[in-house]
Amino acid sequence: MYRRWLWPASALPGVLWLVLLFVVPFYAVLAVALGTVDPILFQPVPTWNPLEWNVGWLNEVFTRLAPGGIWFDVGVRTIVYVVIALALCLLIGYPVAYYTARHAGRWKGLILILIIMPLWISYMMRMLAWVNLLQEDGWVNEVLMFTQVLSEPQDWLGGRDLTVILALVYGYIPFLILPLFAALDRIDRSHLEAARDLGASPWSAFRRVTLPLSKTGILGGAVLITLPMFGDYYTPNIVSGAPSTSMIGNQIDLYFHGGPQPTIGAALTIVLAAFLTILMLYYMRTIHRAQREAGTVGAL
Amino acid sequence: MTAVAEPRARPQPSALTRLRGWFRNPWGKPRALKVVTWLYILWSIVPVLIAVQFSFNATRSRTVWDGFSDRWYWGDPVDSVWHDPALSNALAQSFKLAIADVLIAVPIGVLLALGLARWRGRGSGTANFIMLFPLVTPEIVMGVSLLLVFSHVFTFIETGTTAQILGHVTFSISFVVVIVRARLFSIGRQYEEAAADLGATPFRALTRVLLPLLMPAIIASAAVVFAISADDFVISQWLSSGGPTDTVPVQIYAATRAAPLPSVNAIATIMMVSTLLIVTAGFLTWRLLTRGERRAGKAAEDMGAFNLN
Amino acid sequence: MTHHPKERPNSLSRRGFLLRSAGAAAAVSGAGPLLAACGSTTSESNGAGGEGPGGLPLARPDKRVTLPRWEDPIESGLEPETGGTFTVFNYPAYFYRKLLNEFGDKYGVEVQVTPFDNINSGLQRLASGGVEPDVMEITPDTLDIGVAGELIKPLNLDYIPNLQKNIWPQLVDPFYDGESRYTVPYTCYATGIAWRTDKVTEDIAGMDQPWDIFWESQAYKGKVGLLSENRETIGMALLRKGITDINTEDPELVNQAVSDLQELYEICNVKVDDLQYQTIPEGSSWLHQAWSGDMIAGYIYYLPKGTPASALGFWRAPHGKVPVQNDCFAVCSTTKKPVLSHLFLNYLLDNGVAYENFVDFNGYQPPLNEIDPAALVREGVVPEHLENSVLTDDDLGPDSLQYGTLTSEGQQLWQDGYSNFLAGGGS
Repeated sequence: MYRRWLWPASALPGVLWLVLLFVVPFYAVLAVALGTVDPILFQPVPTWNPLEWNVGWLNEVFTRLAPGGIWFDVGVRTIVYVVIALALCLLIGYPVAYYTARHAGRWKGLILILIIMPLWISYMMRMLAWVNLLQEDGWVNEVLMFTQVLSEPQDWLGGRDLTVILALVYGYIPFLILPLFAALDRIDRSHLEAARDLGASPWSAFRRVTLPLSKTGILGGAVLITLPMFGDYYTPNIVSGAPSTSMIGNQIDLYFHGGPQPTIGAALTIVLAAFLTILMLYYMRTIHRAQREAGTVGAL
Repeated sequence: MTAVAEPRARPQPSALTRLRGWFRNPWGKPRALKVVTWLYILWSIVPVLIAVQFSFNATRSRTVWDGFSDRWYWGDPVDSVWHDPALSNALAQSFKLAIADVLIAVPIGVLLALGLARWRGRGSGTANFIMLFPLVTPEIVMGVSLLLVFSHVFTFIETGTTAQILGHVTFSISFVVVIVRARLFSIGRQYEEAAADLGATPFRALTRVLLPLLMPAIIASAAVVFAISADDFVISQWLSSGGPTDTVPVQIYAATRAAPLPSVNAIATIMMVSTLLIVTAGFLTWRLLTRGERRAGKAAEDMGAFNLN
Repeated sequence: MTHHPKERPNSLSRRGFLLRSAGAAAAVSGAGPLLAACGSTTSESNGAGGEGPGGLPLARPDKRVTLPRWEDPIESGLEPETGGTFTVFNYPAYFYRKLLNEFGDKYGVEVQVTPFDNINSGLQRLASGGVEPDVMEITPDTLDIGVAGELIKPLNLDYIPNLQKNIWPQLVDPFYDGESRYTVPYTCYATGIAWRTDKVTEDIAGMDQPWDIFWESQAYKGKVGLLSENRETIGMALLRKGITDINTEDPELVNQAVSDLQELYEICNVKVDDLQYQTIPEGSSWLHQAWSGDMIAGYIYYLPKGTPASALGFWRAPHGKVPVQNDCFAVCSTTKKPVLSHLFLNYLLDNGVAYENFVDFNGYQPPLNEIDPAALVREGVVPEHLENSVLTDDDLGPDSLQYGTLTSEGQQLWQDGYSNFLAGGGS
């Protein structure tokens, strides 16, 4: 009933916008990372023609990230932080999402609103809240000393791995719980009941039905928080500020905001983006499989 | 999970036993889970409430409560949000960006969603694919790419307000598309077709039938775009030209690393309350407009979930 | 003294950019004019070895550079332009608004400030024609870009008698701008150590090598910080080992300095930021590398009630062993009021104006003959025990230590070393 050109025309402004301000910029990072540097002005000279790309900077980045390179430790630290933070997020988030989806009953609406609320409170506000609590005379020390967990105040902001990891968990967990909840909430009770009727133990019903059926939520939420955590540089700066807790994002920040050679920063950005794309592809493959498996369970 | 093992007044089965009990009866009352959930909620919200409380502190301490005062909002002649140009400018800049973002990203996003949902021709697949990327690209990657494109390609655009708006719209469009497209799928095509059968011109079918049906999604996406723009730190920071173009999150970040005064809590509180009000208004409007379409509890989920689909 | 004391600390360190600006030559768009200009400059070089931005010679305290004039200065004896606006291109809140208004009233112009985030992005905006200011702030190590890019105008010093009259002789004809062809100095500062006297028990100033304190700070773990500047951190590690060539491009020296810095992870879990002017008075940091004005600013603006001024300590090496820097002002080539611009430069070097700007607003010390540390102490501007925060003419000059522009390779060497330090070592 509509003219044939209407829908492409309708999409045009948005597509154009994303091409000009998303695709082209990304290509600009490539052109800078694979470009050259003006020897006198020290200014990056982007190379727009892929045939003339110079992989020297990328090699430099790989050398630095390899064992023995100056970024090896910070790379490993970043992965360790993200993996531990992700594990903690799942450990806390899964029971919360599970309870909300299945057992909250008439409280469901309220609990959901309370769980969603942190999503609308800015990340920096939530970090500020913790920085205040973690001061030496702050509430965290007072509570821990009052409950005899600690005998003297701890310097939580003195550059600790634990503080950075917990800050990451606090910052990102709301983004994980929601997709988890959505996945768990979608699970049809009849699948579980069928499993039980067929003699599955509760544990195996959980393991064979609930867990696989929530796999898409787990993976989706995990991807949703893992990708930004890998690019984080502000959280360690806020709650620590020590090089011993810095992440790979701090290096990108340094090379763009801290001096010459944005070329190196651009090359590191490309490597990070490539690494995250691999994670993403792995996620998409697993999702496809999970959906196939879920289909099998559904047919149970 | 250790939190659930705390001893209670009357003899309790061990956490493990209770956990086992929970597995045995998946529909029973899982008290451990309930405790975890409420502890989580306290943990996620109480620190923020304390930060709000200290924005009203009478002294400059962020840790010791010395009584109620409005000095950090307007009372203090130098350091209050009202009197400190760095803070009041940041507030103005945050609102400026968020409003511009809504005004630009929502129309473009709605049109794009319509186009993508209905356009079945060559190129639609690619467009769909591109649309998804801003949702998963880490902000630092986007920040780097926008900074480089403004310094090497679109050199006529300086860092500062214009660049920040362009950046915010870029990451916002996809959110609008996701929300509006979900709505498009749920309302289907039958209303428009019915309108056409009744003799409506395509234009009238679009404006009188489809647009009102999309209104809940449009309102909701406006609220979401406002919130994500107000929350954004990385893009605002990378594309800031300093001074008056620093937004509230940028100011909070800078102050938090040093020795923040309660005025920083105050500006964060103002921003948070504004965002929550706008999101609540969006949520209520959404609920009002979709009344009768779904069971009530569902709307809250949609509101939370629609930016994550 | 990264930030104006009244200014909120910015995410991007202003001072950081002053120091690094060398590299940010990178920021200037359009290599053409710079390269074209550098052809005419080499004859003036004393050969510091290597070239900096725009191919200009590298200036060092003991290697003066007189920059070529790319056009003739304005003639003497002209009347100042009046009416319209007069634009100062500067860091936000880096000049007392009241004094700008007084200048405007005197000459019937409206003075406005166009802020920039850092000098390099400012120069880039100037080059792109996005702004048309009359005067701007610039630093010795960004000067090359301004001149080679023909972004700032040669001066006629007849209009600026206050330069000769009021300013330290060392900066009247400074090494980075022989004959003061383009710039007049605005502020100056030195790098040292700030600490909490009530927390740090060592007599830092009395140590054989005060910089060693960072390597002996186990007791203050988590409360120790360094400036987040590649030149300052690595330079400090060099100075500690007695290497006074803080512009060295010898990879062995720089890498050794970096591995010395890396010992600090274990020793004190060192932090890196430029926030010492707030965190030391506030008490969240006890020992920090610092600029000379930080504790003055901390004393005036950030010391909480109940903490005595004597809790703030500052040490810097004696003249000739302490890194020093200064900022400048110049006339932009976009000005339509060249005479008035000259008069503005003269105005900011006026004893009364510069002093008021320093004491009542800025906290950044101008290099005035009249400023006498003892007098500042007498007037209560500076607490007695922080008298060494005030620089004197002796502190600059040919035997002073200054972080100068490096060659391209040198910048990479320092930056990569700093990156290595910031990466934080084994986890």
